[in-house]
Amino acid sequence: MTWLAWRQLRAQLLVTGVALAVLAAYLVVLGIELRDGHHDAVASCGDACGPALRSLQSRYQGRVQLLDALLVVTPALLGMFWGAPLVARELETGTHRLVWNQSVSRHRWLAVRLAVVCAAAAAVTGLFSLLLTWAASPYDAIAADRFTALLFGTRNVVPVAYTCCAVVLGALMGLVLRRTVPAMALTALLFAAVQIAVPTAVRPHLVAPVHGSQAMTADTIRNLSFLGDQADVEGLRAPDIWVVSNSRLLTADGRTVDLDRYHGCLSGQFDAMAQCLAALDLHVDVAYQPGERYWRFQWLESLLFLGAGLALAGLAMWRIRAA
Amino acid sequence: MCGAAGLPTMGRMVDSGTTAALATEGLTRRYGRRVALADCTLRVPPGRVVGLVGPNGAGKSTLLQLACGLIAPTSGSVRVLGARPGTRLARVGFVAQDTPVYATLSVADHLRLGARLNPAWDAAFAARRVEALGLDLRQRAGRLSGGQRAQLALTVAAAKRPELLILDEPVAALDPLAREGFLRTLIESVTELGATAVLSSHLLSDVERVCDHLVVLAGGRVQLAGDVTVLLDAHHRVPSPPPGADVVHGAVVRGPLPAGTGAGPVQLEELVLAYLHRGTGRGTR
Repeated sequence: MTWLAWRQLRAQLLVTGVALAVLAAYLVVLGIELRDGHHDAVASCGDACGPALRSLQSRYQGRVQLLDALLVVTPALLGMFWGAPLVARELETGTHRLVWNQSVSRHRWLAVRLAVVCAAAAAVTGLFSLLLTWAASPYDAIAADRFTALLFGTRNVVPVAYTCCAVVLGALMGLVLRRTVPAMALTALLFAAVQIAVPTAVRPHLVAPVHGSQAMTADTIRNLSFLGDQADVEGLRAPDIWVVSNSRLLTADGRTVDLDRYHGCLSGQFDAMAQCLAALDLHVDVAYQPGERYWRFQWLESLLFLGAGLALAGLAMWRIRAA
Repeated sequence: MCGAAGLPTMGRMVDSGTTAALATEGLTRRYGRRVALADCTLRVPPGRVVGLVGPNGAGKSTLLQLACGLIAPTSGSVRVLGARPGTRLARVGFVAQDTPVYATLSVADHLRLGARLNPAWDAAFAARRVEALGLDLRQRAGRLSGGQRAQLALTVAAAKRPELLILDEPVAALDPLAREGFLRTLIESVTELGATAVLSSHLLSDVERVCDHLVVLAGGRVQLAGDVTVLLDAHHRVPSPPPGADVVHGAVVRGPLPAGTGAGPVQLEELVLAYLHRGTGRGTR
């Protein structure tokens, strides 16, 4: 049975293998280039390396973000092109009536095919993630934001777990809808929804966040992405930690800043505004996940997706009896 | 119309001691509100080549797919070689309608598939058959002609050495020459394996040529079942049936030969058509 599962995957595996080889070569070149760039920047900047490193970061930002985006969609793509046709294609071409009448039960047939396709898809994503994590590590060290929603899902082990889940989801959709193209579409749709829902609604609560307070210095304010009418702020960042939520701007006594004084500062130049707000001695209450929890979160989320994949596989096993 | 009393299921006495190749009891299958097979009770004795005949939509495919476990019954039971369908996969071979094969796999790949997926695979038998058919091992199955594809599907089903070989309209899409070749292969294979074969068809001439047991299905119900010779002995052609004769339809009469009525033997085709007429008449009422 394993032979048949490999034989049926061979064509897709060859195509993906070629694409992956090209991608791997590019990632190796990029990784070496980034390391050279980092070496040069550090060698010449002495004590004040900030600007040199930031310029290196902005030089590679486009390329790294493109690769991140590619790795984000890889699990869904594998779910669509490897997972969805796994059963649906057999049902469409009628070959299920051939293969389910050999001496192998359809449960075993499905289990072996799912295992082989999952293993191959996990290897593809795993290699991609491994190379990207290695290549981008000098960049990531400068950006110090590996815990943020997008980057967390494109480094280390979680992409592999996403892939297994997406492939099983695709197979189940194919089994339920019995047609390949609708199954592919629904797989993409559902998995996209999961990839939006998990970082925003599930991941922050995997472990209870730590509460603390962050003083609003001029530097901190300059790095914010949004300052609202009601003294609400967004884009609060600190190296390596993940800010889950934060309060409005608060004064030393813990009350929301007086809005008139706040608005008084907002007019005028951006730099002057930051100075003006800093002079108010403001802070925000922050709920955050400290950086040392990074690996705990990687494993927890991996387990979550692998568990979901197993549950979906169980559902497919139950469903295939009546298919 | 299996189930209801008074309809002939002949040849039953002969085999009552052995395990039936296929036995159903009140078997019913609905698709939504449409009844594809209604209350079917049937016993197919082993060692026969059974023809399952009936018009399109009579429930032939449904019965055969129920028998190999591809679909589940709505009610009633079906036993294949004495066991539930799908539990004796190694002992039942199935050639599905339109004889599906993997278009991208070669002939050799199909034989390897059979070898890997069947513990009792007879590689020598398969190789002999492919050689006799003149199939190119490297040829992709998608490039084969309809007849060659059907032969390949039959080879894969037969080389697992099943005790029961089920074929669902295997020759419906083939030209006469390919049909003849397929049926010859079928008979040779069944003889060599010593297997029972159940073959559905709407072509009476094919059934007449290869089958020694007959099941007539119409309107989702079994109209007639029995060994061909027994059925032919039990029916007669009477040009003008006397009152009180058990008329099946038209001039076909069941039961002992009435004396002095100009009665003669009935042809198989005429007999089947008489029961089909009766069955579809009953079905539309």
